[in-house]
Amino acid sequence: MSSHLSGELYEEYSELIPPLIYTILSCYTRFYHIGKANSVVWDEAHFGKFGSYYLKRSFYFDVHPPLGKILVGLAGWLSGYDGNYDFPSGSAYPPEVPYIPMRVMLAMFGAAMVPLAWFTSVELHLSKKACHLVTLMTLCDLAWICISRFILLDSMLLFFTFTTVFCMTKWNNQQWRPFSFDWWLWLGMTGWSIGCVVSVKWVGFFVTALVGAYTIEDLWEKFGDLKMPIRVYIKHWIARGLCLIVLPAIVYMASFKAHFMILNHSGSGDSQMSSLFQANLVGNDFATNPLEIAIGSKVTFKNVGYGGGLLHSHVQTYPVGSLQQQVTCYHYKDDNNNFNLVRPWGHPEYNPNEDLEFLKDGSVIRFQHASTMRNLHAHMVAAPVTKENWEISGYGNATTGDHNDLWQLEVVDDIILGNKKNLKDRIRSLTTRIRFRHLTMGCYMRAANAVLPPWGFKQVEVSCDKENNPKDQHTWWNVESHWNDRLPSGNQKLYKSPFLSDFWHLNVAMMTSNNALVPDPDKEDILASTPSEWPWLHTGLRMCGWGDDQIKFYLLGHPLIWWGGTLSLILSLFILAVYMLRMQRHYVDWKAGEWDHFLYVGKVAFFGWFFHYVPFLIMGRVTYLHHYLPTLYFAVIMLGHFFDHFVFSARRLSENVKTGVFIFTYAVIVGVWWWFKDIAIVSAFLNLFGTRRNSASGLPVQLIRIKIHESSIGYH
Amino acid sequence: MASEFRARGAKQASPPATLPPPQYQSRYPPRDHHLDADERKALAQPGSLKQSQHAFGGLRLASSEWKLLAGIVVLALCVRLYHLGWPASVVFDEVHFGKFAGKYIHGRYYVDVHPPLAKLLITFMAVLGGFNGEFDFKEIGLPYPSDVPYVLMRSLPALMGVGVVPLAYLTLRGLDCRPATALLGSLFITFENGLITQSRLILLDSPLIFFTALTVFCWVGFSNENHQEPFTEDWWLWLALTGLSLGAVASCKWVGLFTIATIGVATMKQLWDLLGDLKVPPRVWMKHFLARALCLIVLPITVYMAVFEIHFMVLQNSGDGDGFMSAQFQQSLKGKGMHDTWADISLGSEITLRHVNTQGGYLHSHEHNYPTGSNQQQITLYPHKDGNNNWRILAGHSEGQPDHDFATEPIKWVSNLMSIRFEHISTKRRLHSHDVRPPVSDVDFQNEVSAYGFPGFVGDANDNWIVEIEYGDSHDKHSSGRLRTLGTVFRLRHALQGCYLFSHKVKLPEWGFEQQEVTCNKNAVKANSLWYIETNEHPQLGENDEKVNYRRPSFLSRFLELNHVMWTTNAGLTDRHAFDSRPESWLTLKRGINFWVRDHRHVYLIGNPVIWWLSTAAVVTYLLARGLLVLRAKRQYKDLNNSFIVKYDQICGFLTIGWFIHYFPFFIMSRQLFLHHYFPALYFAILLTAAIFDLATSSFKPKIRLQVAGVLIVAAVWTWWHFSPLTYAGEWTRGKCDAAKWRKTWDFSW
Repeated sequence: MSSHLSGELYEEYSELIPPLIYTILSCYTRFYHIGKANSVVWDEAHFGKFGSYYLKRSFYFDVHPPLGKILVGLAGWLSGYDGNYDFPSGSAYPPEVPYIPMRVMLAMFGAAMVPLAWFTSVELHLSKKACHLVTLMTLCDLAWICISRFILLDSMLLFFTFTTVFCMTKWNNQQWRPFSFDWWLWLGMTGWSIGCVVSVKWVGFFVTALVGAYTIEDLWEKFGDLKMPIRVYIKHWIARGLCLIVLPAIVYMASFKAHFMILNHSGSGDSQMSSLFQANLVGNDFATNPLEIAIGSKVTFKNVGYGGGLLHSHVQTYPVGSLQQQVTCYHYKDDNNNFNLVRPWGHPEYNPNEDLEFLKDGSVIRFQHASTMRNLHAHMVAAPVTKENWEISGYGNATTGDHNDLWQLEVVDDIILGNKKNLKDRIRSLTTRIRFRHLTMGCYMRAANAVLPPWGFKQVEVSCDKENNPKDQHTWWNVESHWNDRLPSGNQKLYKSPFLSDFWHLNVAMMTSNNALVPDPDKEDILASTPSEWPWLHTGLRMCGWGDDQIKFYLLGHPLIWWGGTLSLILSLFILAVYMLRMQRHYVDWKAGEWDHFLYVGKVAFFGWFFHYVPFLIMGRVTYLHHYLPTLYFAVIMLGHFFDHFVFSARRLSENVKTGVFIFTYAVIVGVWWWFKDIAIVSAFLNLFGTRRNSASGLPVQLIRIKIHESSIGYH
Repeated sequence: MASEFRARGAKQASPPATLPPPQYQSRYPPRDHHLDADERKALAQPGSLKQSQHAFGGLRLASSEWKLLAGIVVLALCVRLYHLGWPASVVFDEVHFGKFAGKYIHGRYYVDVHPPLAKLLITFMAVLGGFNGEFDFKEIGLPYPSDVPYVLMRSLPALMGVGVVPLAYLTLRGLDCRPATALLGSLFITFENGLITQSRLILLDSPLIFFTALTVFCWVGFSNENHQEPFTEDWWLWLALTGLSLGAVASCKWVGLFTIATIGVATMKQLWDLLGDLKVPPRVWMKHFLARALCLIVLPITVYMAVFEIHFMVLQNSGDGDGFMSAQFQQSLKGKGMHDTWADISLGSEITLRHVNTQGGYLHSHEHNYPTGSNQQQITLYPHKDGNNNWRILAGHSEGQPDHDFATEPIKWVSNLMSIRFEHISTKRRLHSHDVRPPVSDVDFQNEVSAYGFPGFVGDANDNWIVEIEYGDSHDKHSSGRLRTLGTVFRLRHALQGCYLFSHKVKLPEWGFEQQEVTCNKNAVKANSLWYIETNEHPQLGENDEKVNYRRPSFLSRFLELNHVMWTTNAGLTDRHAFDSRPESWLTLKRGINFWVRDHRHVYLIGNPVIWWLSTAAVVTYLLARGLLVLRAKRQYKDLNNSFIVKYDQICGFLTIGWFIHYFPFFIMSRQLFLHHYFPALYFAILLTAAIFDLATSSFKPKIRLQVAGVLIVAAVWTWWHFSPLTYAGEWTRGKCDAAKWRKTWDFSW
């Protein structure tokens, strides 16, 4: 009886032995000597710093969604880090920064990829041997190891990408009993996982696209199922809508809610947000600015549109159009954002002793740029980027100017008082929203998300829109900072900035900044690489300084895995063509269900890869090798699938051949990993690389050079 | 685990014997299966067309129909040729295409974004009319002098526009539509104001549409032959004609590539069906495949290249297109050739230095200073030959430079990593760089480059440049070790700043005469920091020393280079135009193009709204119907077993794919687009309208069908008449003009 029981127990748990062993190995590769390099490596300079902000609770701005960085902050908090180190790139960690526990906690996400790869392969019904290979490749890829060992977001991004694929395959296997508990569980888990991956980096949308494509195909097949009642079919739609759209959206928004709740102090990122949001931060003094605006005030103007910045001008001139001084929209606070409000030409000059003249709806004024004394000016010259609008420039000085310098204020409304009638002919800072109408041409000052070329420092273009669209928030402005010695400081009752509006505002700002990360065509960036270089591992990435006595890390994939994965993807198209041609020719190669399963695994791998890769080809922004790391997973699955299809499950091969191929492949992957392991784990090889693109011979030579030099080094 | 049931069937060339033999659908359903009742009746009558099974190209036209067709052509001639000489001045893009005819006549090289065939045809007409090429078509509205045969030049597009009409008729008949349908379709083409306007002027679109229509017609004929019997003489003829016509359409405008794609898709469908037909042995299938590859790939490419060969043969002289081409290419033009120059570069050589990656030209300096930065003398790239492009190579000593007499000193070759200086011959200043930002590219990794020095000043270390040889010419073995004229491509690294001499397609403002900016770049992109020496003289080199020159490029390399230049120029046409439009606005005919205005008369390109909107409605109808069919098929309805539905699905599907392929790619193009880019797609949409008419009236009696067609034709002709003053620049009252603005966005009356 007992032996029977233990046999059953063994049956049940023996399946867990391989993943257990792989997990232990995975921890070993991810944690071994993790603190050896005691300096700030690669983007730890960013993400470590962002984590610190959560501990200091000061508001910052970054192009990535907050979840990953909140987790960095959490890791810091759990390790007892106080948040007072600002992670200068390349410098050594001081003793009070617990960078080792932080790295270990984040590396756990990287370590968990390996068991996930195992269980996903099992769910994909790969043969045992193929499961082993996929897991081994996940364990041994050098780039995955290397990127997991630092305070970066990539390990989390990879982890959630893996969980999404895992949950999706798990759910797929529950499809035979829809609406069961397990079915709901894994559907919900898929949605949750999508929410997380998207909240770490927007790259997570690509794996979301894979799930979306799978779902659409699934619903389409169900549409053709005549036995399914229409009510059940509708229920399928609703379940997916709830779990795959609503749930991820909630997770994504919750991460932003947490972001806003934690970061309630004024900080470096304030200016990306609306004036009202900033006023609500601890340490911000907007609310104590004088309340009502008068002639003689010095102010800054904030664009109300999502992602809007501050009206700005600087001494540099437009190289095109009028060649006058540039006027832009800019997010950083400096004195070049300050404008004096003065009377139009021909009216008496402002005298500090006269009666205060408050501004109201319909006032005509001149904006004088405080540091250059130029007047904000518009004329019939096409704007540099948005050609259909007129250009706005800085022109003249305190005494010279013309009627093109005059602007009429049109009040839209007030956030607190509502309708502009309630303002009683005054304009309030922060809450009153105004439009600026050019007096002679009738156009409206507008700053949308058109970015100026490098000569304009990639700031946002300000132009004068000929079309009057009263609803266009990009033509709305509010006064943000306000200085006027003659007015009492205000004590405005603050209106809470609504969460949804802040959420959109921040997302638009992230999108705009992300799109502005375009490479300069004249500048050779030795860290950047183009997507076409990735599949063949044409180039690696130096992750730290390259001094002679430094521990160095070189982000480089496991060549066999990368090349093999790419080959298998190309082969998959070829094989598909061959099989389809044979089918059209009425050959019968498959038993029932086999073809569908072959296609299913192939589609997950191919479209997963495709959705993660192709967007980078179209993207204008600068790309780096580590952008390929989530993509690589699907290449690995495809490679495993092909080994399975052509070797391990092939009928014509004997068991001995299969075992032989398996052992050989396994050994080669491990061997190559061993050969290169030091570039990812702890490497200290000396000065090896010349300028990257100098060696026309490319990667293989580089690899050999790594090994030659490495043999002569000890650890530092 | 899955592996248990993963066993795949062994290789099986045929289905296992246990299965019942599969029901192979016969390759071609019986030909009259789709016919409706009255047609079957007609067929059963004596003297019907049934006997002539092997009609040429599947066209079964009774003799009365040929007379009808002749009548339509006469009508089209009247509509297209009426008052062709008016306006008697340059209209819209006649500015370009008229001018190009002049360039062909003088043989002066020019560069345009379109392939040459249509322009060569226009030139042919101009030559027939005795055009001497002197008139320059400078601007819209310029009156034609009496010696410019502009009417004859316009008659070529006009006649090709007429040609589209019978092609539409025959194509619809070839697609097995009824004569009434073909009549409707061809008259719609005839009275489409936009097509009329576009074909009455010296423009390329009319030839383009003609060849598109011809291609579709030939393809339909070929498909019919293929149905009847493959590999007959007629079959080969139609296939070859399709290929020739494809070559012609791509040689008019690159939009023709969409026609190639359309035929490509249709061919793949044909081959795929043939593959599934087990009565076609692999060997025969291969023959099918190779025949199509030969006629539809090789033949069009040959035509395309032949047209370019003619283009190069005609344009032998240097002209205003030189600047787009590489130096080797320019060498092949008369008047641009360079004399042989000495090969060995040494200290004291007087050289010109040329930038590799841009066509900006030669390193240049002139006696004007930068208004910014250091205020020293400007350095630019200048595309033309000029004495200010000449520099002397000196040794790069960091201090003190004795006077050299290069005529007597021993020759010292310039080798890799040597430090040298460049002295500007006419101003005696030296090429110089320093930690000052350049005038336009004001970024931290760029340094200004200037010419610096004064008499008696020996120079400083900021004048020194290190030669870094990048690659040599494989035909010249010395060129990778030391500088050789034309052979060596190298970079110049500034000795102190470590930056590279660099230039890019950025123009200096007016003070720099809009010449190209030269900088010294610390993170230089390699391609833009490569230079080579084009000419070289040295006092000690005489007639007996080795000389070099550009190698004359082969036809293939010139052909490829020109196509590359056309591509980049085309992609660079991104500026907005006052009358440009985006593809989504074409479907609803949102706005036309102002071609010509004078004395209150107007040529305004706008379609015939009735025809235009009907055609869009036809596309939408088919897409909706096809979508419904897909949904129904998924729900296991057997609509597609009905040969009537299948017939019309095939006709409409082919035309809709043609429409789609000629329309959709414009969405992903960022270049400036115009309404007339929709015309090839419009042709497909109009044929589709006719096909849908055929489907909708198939249950009608012939007389009623003819009456319905009549009503539609009358509506189209009335609208054509209504808008004809815009098409023919006729007289119009202000009121009528305002009343004709059916949509607010039509901006022809101001």
